[in-house]
Amino acid sequence: MLVPILKQEDFLIASIQGELSDVELLALRDQLVDKVQRHRSRAVIIDVAVLDIMDSFSARTLRSIAQMTRLMGAETIVVGIQPEVAMSMVQLGLRLEGTTIAMDLEDGLAVLKNRGSQGNDACDRA
Amino acid sequence: MDARSANKKEWPAIVKSLNIDAQEIRRRKDFLQFNEEDAERLKSINELAEKYADDVIEEFYRHLMSFEETRQFFRDQQQLLAHVKNLQKTYFLRLTKGNYDQEYIENRLKIGKTHERIGLPVDSYLGMYNFYLRAVGARLFTTFKDDPERAFKAFLSLMKITFLDIGLAIDTYIDSREQTIGAQQDAIRELSTPVLPFRQGIVMLPMVGLIDSYRASQITEQLLRSIRDTRAKVVVLDITGVPYVDSRVASHLVQTVEAARLMGSKVIISGVSPEIALTMVTIGVELGQIETVGDMQSAIERAEQLSGYKVIRVRPERRKTDRAENGFEDNRNNDPA
Amino acid sequence: MTPVIERETALPIKSDLDVLKARQQGKELAAALRFTNTELTIIATAISEIARNTVLYAKTGCLQLKVINQDQRRGLLIIIKDHGPGIADLDLAMQDGYSTSRGLGIGLPGARRLMDEFDISSEVGKGTTITMTKWERTKL
Repeated sequence: MLVPILKQEDFLIASIQGELSDVELLALRDQLVDKVQRHRSRAVIIDVAVLDIMDSFSARTLRSIAQMTRLMGAETIVVGIQPEVAMSMVQLGLRLEGTTIAMDLEDGLAVLKNRGSQGNDACDRA
Repeated sequence: MDARSANKKEWPAIVKSLNIDAQEIRRRKDFLQFNEEDAERLKSINELAEKYADDVIEEFYRHLMSFEETRQFFRDQQQLLAHVKNLQKTYFLRLTKGNYDQEYIENRLKIGKTHERIGLPVDSYLGMYNFYLRAVGARLFTTFKDDPERAFKAFLSLMKITFLDIGLAIDTYIDSREQTIGAQQDAIRELSTPVLPFRQGIVMLPMVGLIDSYRASQITEQLLRSIRDTRAKVVVLDITGVPYVDSRVASHLVQTVEAARLMGSKVIISGVSPEIALTMVTIGVELGQIETVGDMQSAIERAEQLSGYKVIRVRPERRKTDRAENGFEDNRNNDPA
Repeated sequence: MTPVIERETALPIKSDLDVLKARQQGKELAAALRFTNTELTIIATAISEIARNTVLYAKTGCLQLKVINQDQRRGLLIIIKDHGPGIADLDLAMQDGYSTSRGLGIGLPGARRLMDEFDISSEVGKGTTITMTKWERTKL
């Protein structure tokens, strides 16, 4: 399943549409890293609202995306984690270190708008 | 879904929740000392049963209708009465057909459920069995008057199978009660920890009473769903009303904060008493990530601050007018320059 | 009392696509029991962890899912068996920090945390069997 990656101003939005296999997740990672480099994006928003499971592999891949894109000067924002997924992640001990978490796409965009300007609400909340 | 198909889906569920498997059936029969001989004896009087079935049922309902309550109960329900009579006859005849296994049990449970659903009281139910045994007993002894031993043995077998049935009927009544209680308890639990929307983007969750592990995870689930539904970016979790927090509950609190964070929401825990603070420190709870405040007032202020709200007290200009209306003099013009 | 098996299903685990299938099947079977949505997610996640582990280290394995009934309690029994290389040091593999950093058996301690019962037996050269159970929560 291909994940559509939208370029918006100087950031990217990746909306996951359905369950991704390990291979597909890695492909997403590579695509994002490539695009960040090409467009010199300053941020990547990954919307995982559709995912009903987040296991250690997906968490690790998200962390990799964050690490790799940071090396290129970009921030990774994960949005849309569902209640049940959040609960199971906590029990599994998955924290998504290195990523910024926001509630949904709207919230993620708000975080980006506030970056650099005064008052970082999302930072306070992190 | 009509009543019949609703029933069809229901009684396998009862069988499961009552755990009435082959082993359980065997156990109950052993307890009543109901064995193959009894089954055979019952089958042997089947022909007789078919002959007097209608009579017995009519006699029974004549007896029932002699009581005011029953008359009232069936008064405007002729169809129900006919339906129940029919069920009775089928039930009655089934007693002497043999094969008292899984299918028999499920059938009995179905009947029990029907009676329970229409609200038939337990003592009426028991009264029915009693009348029935007496009516049948009398006929047995008349029919086999030359062989009283046979009549007696058949009667005993009949008693055993009806007692098996009574046990099952009572089980269905109890099962229904338990399900109602379960549903009520769920409702109470949800009501006792309401998630209160406070301002746009802020919710408050006052926890009251003793929290066990199960309730704690229920509360967390409720809270997270609420965060999603109201898009609350800040949560004030108040534990002023929680007298005691043990290590499991403390870790639940930590988990709740973390799960909310993964949803992009910040939790502020307020009402942390000195005792609870000590417990949490002693347990070694990761307090670094969690914002805690002593009282709810401060928590609310902090929540508002985080959400970009600013509360301004409106200047009391209106008070001077109030004073004039209340009979105070308006001294402004009389002030010496 | 030995558990009574009410329903069961089995599927081969050979690729990451099978991992997805395993999760689906797990959720489907678990739906027959009284689990909350969160518990269903947890079950699917645990299955994902051990199934992926099998694909990574044993290449092929078999997953069995059973709805069981024991001592008045119902639950989901999950067994995954492989004839892979086996795990030399189980204790080490089941240790939290070790797994994450070394990349070996990453999901195993996590899966154990998620499930009510967890058992792992492994023999080098022979294979590994993981058995885990999640029980319905009996309230009251």
